[in-house]
Amino acid sequence: MAFAAGIMSLLLWFVELPVVYLLNDPDLASKVKWIPFAHGYVYAFYVLATIHFTARARFTIKRMILFILAGTLPVASFVAERRVMREFPLA
Amino acid sequence: MSVASKMKTTSTNALKNVGVGLVVLALCGAFIRLGFWQLDRAADLKELQKPYVEQPLIALTDVATPSTNLSDSAINRIVTFSGSYVAQFDAPGQKNKSGALETWLVGLLEVNGSGAILVVRSNARDELPKGEVVVEGRLLVRQFEDRADKSGDQLSRLDPSLLVGTYDLPIFDGYVVAGSEIVNGRKISIPRAQVDPARPSVPGYYWQHISYVVIWWLMALVVLFLPLYGRKRRSGVKGAE
Repeated sequence: MAFAAGIMSLLLWFVELPVVYLLNDPDLASKVKWIPFAHGYVYAFYVLATIHFTARARFTIKRMILFILAGTLPVASFVAERRVMREFPLA
Repeated sequence: MSVASKMKTTSTNALKNVGVGLVVLALCGAFIRLGFWQLDRAADLKELQKPYVEQPLIALTDVATPSTNLSDSAINRIVTFSGSYVAQFDAPGQKNKSGALETWLVGLLEVNGSGAILVVRSNARDELPKGEVVVEGRLLVRQFEDRADKSGDQLSRLDPSLLVGTYDLPIFDGYVVAGSEIVNGRKISIPRAQVDPARPSVPGYYWQHISYVVIWWLMALVVLFLPLYGRKRRSGVKGAE
């Protein structure tokens, strides 16, 4: 889920937002309009998956919140996923 | 541990619990409110997709007063009024219905028995009509961003505040895009500026806003869940010890 949320964040920050706010091209904007709402739903599942995982791993509340917030930044969820994989190789 | 220090610890814990409870309630309330905000935006977007319904013709003075901000209900109304032109300006850089840039011919009309109003007369050159003129057109909200430089006979934007101080008249807020002008019973035949009704824009898409509703309300649930998780985790750690 962290991987999917990271990809969607990258698409949102570096594809959808520049197309809508920097380029004046309605055709292109209509082609990328699926990105923000796909990102929204993927992030919701990411939050649920994060809570499920961090609760089972008995993480502290602070760490759980940081993991949830990591899904909002393009690269942070990849970093979070990598750290978890290092700490819990079978996760 | 003495009774006094036990009581102190208990009251400190109670205060801490109340503090955590208040923070949780505040955050939960904020997230629920944000969810409703996104829900409203989704509803506004849906509303904007419906075709615009024109309202009946009304006298300008029934919906607007000089030197007073336009009310929301006045914006986009097709209004009628009569009076005489006192000045004419060019307004370059104006976008028409199809997005093309035009220079509009804008008159300042002194409304009978009231103040003055800016009237977009045409997208072509024309003489300023003399005598009593009856105008019918769409009332729009004033522009806030400059489209050109301001000079004696050129307006940088369609905003009556640019003329305050130059003319000794109370001026109506907003401007009217004329659909017709009648002078002495004769309709003036000139090309008219074509504009769509002004409609508020809501960025984004319907299902995008709904996804944000889901996320904000999910966050509210997470905030409610965290203190329970913290308690469960602490009791689990103590049990393991």
